[in-house]
Amino acid sequence: MKTLQKALDSGGSLSLYIDGNKFEKSVHGAMDCSSCHPDITLKNHPKPKKITDRKVYIKEFSKNCLNCHPQDSLMKPKVHGEVVKKGEVFCSECHGSHYITSMKDWKKKASFSEYCLTCHQSNITKTLPSKEKISLKVNESEIKKSVHAKFQCLVCHDDFSKVNHPIYNYKDKNQYRKEMTRICTKCHTDKELQKNPAHYALTKTTSCIECHGYHGVKPTKVAKTLPENQYCLNCHSRPISMKMKNGETLSVQVKETDILNSVHKKLKCTECHKEFSTTQHPVRSFESVANYRAKAKDVCNNCHQDAVKKYDISIHAEALKKGNQQSPDCLKCHDYHKVVLITKDKSASSELCVKCHNESGRAFKESVHQKAINDGKQNAPTCASCHNSHDVLAANIAQLGNSCVKCHKDVKTSHNKWLWNPPVKLTTFVDAHFNSASCAACHTTVNKAIYLTLFDRAKKKPLTESEVAKIFGVDPKEVKGKIDYNNDGKIQEQELWQFMSSVKAKAKANLSGRIDVINSNDAHKIEPKSKAIKDCAACHDPSASFAAKIEINREGGKAVKFDLERSAINSAYAIPNIKDFYVLGLTKIKILDILFFIALLGGVAVPVGHLTLRILTAPIRRKRREGK
Amino acid sequence: MKKIYLHPLPVRIWHWINALGFIILIITGAQIRFAENMGIMSFETAVDVHSWLGFILLANYFIWLLYYLFTGKLFKIYIPPFWRPVEFIKNSIRQAKYYGYGIMVGDKNPHHPTPEHKFNPMQQISYLMIMVLLIPLQIITGLMLWDPQLFSSIISLIGGIQIATLIHTGLWIFFSAFIIVHFYLATLGHTPMAHIKAMFTGYEEEHEEH
Repeated sequence: MKTLQKALDSGGSLSLYIDGNKFEKSVHGAMDCSSCHPDITLKNHPKPKKITDRKVYIKEFSKNCLNCHPQDSLMKPKVHGEVVKKGEVFCSECHGSHYITSMKDWKKKASFSEYCLTCHQSNITKTLPSKEKISLKVNESEIKKSVHAKFQCLVCHDDFSKVNHPIYNYKDKNQYRKEMTRICTKCHTDKELQKNPAHYALTKTTSCIECHGYHGVKPTKVAKTLPENQYCLNCHSRPISMKMKNGETLSVQVKETDILNSVHKKLKCTECHKEFSTTQHPVRSFESVANYRAKAKDVCNNCHQDAVKKYDISIHAEALKKGNQQSPDCLKCHDYHKVVLITKDKSASSELCVKCHNESGRAFKESVHQKAINDGKQNAPTCASCHNSHDVLAANIAQLGNSCVKCHKDVKTSHNKWLWNPPVKLTTFVDAHFNSASCAACHTTVNKAIYLTLFDRAKKKPLTESEVAKIFGVDPKEVKGKIDYNNDGKIQEQELWQFMSSVKAKAKANLSGRIDVINSNDAHKIEPKSKAIKDCAACHDPSASFAAKIEINREGGKAVKFDLERSAINSAYAIPNIKDFYVLGLTKIKILDILFFIALLGGVAVPVGHLTLRILTAPIRRKRREGK
Repeated sequence: MKKIYLHPLPVRIWHWINALGFIILIITGAQIRFAENMGIMSFETAVDVHSWLGFILLANYFIWLLYYLFTGKLFKIYIPPFWRPVEFIKNSIRQAKYYGYGIMVGDKNPHHPTPEHKFNPMQQISYLMIMVLLIPLQIITGLMLWDPQLFSSIISLIGGIQIATLIHTGLWIFFSAFIIVHFYLATLGHTPMAHIKAMFTGYEEEHEEH
């Protein structure tokens, strides 16, 4: 009978054997079996009683305990009450089922660790106010294998005893870890830790348990003999983080797999993190995550000076400087330790840009270039093919047309086949068009505009918003008011004249023009060659529908754009201000048309008037002839 | 009736090529400029014709120039006697008076054309301006508009493509009016067709009494 085993549906078995003698000695020794098993009597024994799972059975059975031990009384001891309330542990799991000794005897007999582990071997957890969960389960075998194998629980947790079980309410895991460090440093004093400066520095940036574990405390002496990366990863492979002065936290966990899959797989940690070594681990403090990232660029600069130099002049660097946290730096695109060669996968590299530039991304997806990527063409362009990977410049100064020529090398010859002016077929005529219109202007079917960029003829580069602000002696934000005097959101002829006169009084400026798409995102929607605009009249018809805009560049940023009345381009005011831009038909000065008709009328009026006078004076001549 | 050989063959060839070309250039110029309102031909055709004729007249201009340079007549025919300004001004006023008044009352034309002295003072000054200044200017600005990239250095020299356009359009306006007046003036011979005929035959008929 001692082997009376019951097989459970969930697998495993349950011993149904009860040692009568032992039971009689227990606190329940005088009770009938049916006191606790009311569903089983001599007359009625369900055969076989279905027990699907041990845990489920224990849960169900433990309900019977409440018949004699009312819940009210069980809730009275605070910690016991918490355990009962949460229902993670059932009565029999701590107290046993048939051989229950009196609490008093049990407490007396149990060793300290045995006493604690009675509950702490179960899957009990604590939920912190931060909603983080801490497991309170203690794995005894882990302790046995640790350097603290011989320790009783109370050695470390000295505020606990068989009669005292305080309850701590940590805000979050971070605070909890710190408190645990306090426990460690009771024995491992600051003085002792200072013997190893690197380790000492680490104790100021992280908590002991993150590296050494909770109960299975591991010695870390091995570190220095390990290969360098392993030495660092000993701690940094764990979920450790550092706190910034402003309270932000940054994970300093490094996944070894990330490094091994990266282009930096052959590098040692200290090749990038030069100030660290197996003997040096300086304590660093950063104002904020942004401040940290700005400095992280210096790490990349150790090897990638060219890329960093290019990045520094980019629109991204400028935006970041101006406080746009979304703007990318080295880490945002290349990641910390994953460091990937971005150009390897064409789709993936574009996706990186599209994360922020989703409108452009959508347009690109409709383009002939995306089709080339989908078709697996090796020379299909990614974002960086045109915009560069590091020196990403504002579209109006990036000379993006050059990017097209980089791949479409025969572009001049191919255009010269149809875009030429008789009688001589010169490619300079093609250039004239390339200089005054973006490639996208003809190779997309979206709406276009005439862009007039404020240009410094002396410096041979666009005049910037801050330079214009300086001319007017105002803040850059107030430049708008200096061009749109009447504040109606559009610039009229008179406003253009007034603005340009003021600018020209201080700088050698004029407006240089080009035809481009209105919405710069649409520039990515490049159509197949067959759909490109080849009809000259599309631009050269005076009634061609084009919006007009004035743009003033911003240092390293996107140009500020103002809507301009089309009539301003066709007025005499344009002549001294838009000296270098003239599109036959489109930008003609209307007053000259009026003069043409006046001249025609005058040309006709002179002969008609003269002839009329001659007819009227014919009698005089006749008389004179007759008088002769 | 006396016949004077006033217009040698090269001049006549030049004149009629020029006349036809001028008219077509004016019309195609208008078609380019008023593409939305004029439907004589497409924009492309207008530009093609305009460009071709531009080069034809450019070459034609050199026929005129070389002829007059080689015959040495340029100076005699086209340069007014600036060294006798009073006389020149007096003659000009006399000629203007003739066109404004004398011609109405039956006065004689004060100018008698000869192969060496073909133009009256007013013609002389206007044709000098047209042939030596305005036509070359129209040709040069025309070239700038024909290929702004190729002629970019001259464009920047004159202050930008807008200025080139302004000059070219301004002269187009002037020539359009001028050619109408030119037609009319051509009918002011002793018969309405006399000058026109002479431009074909080379011989200008003059009444004996003159």
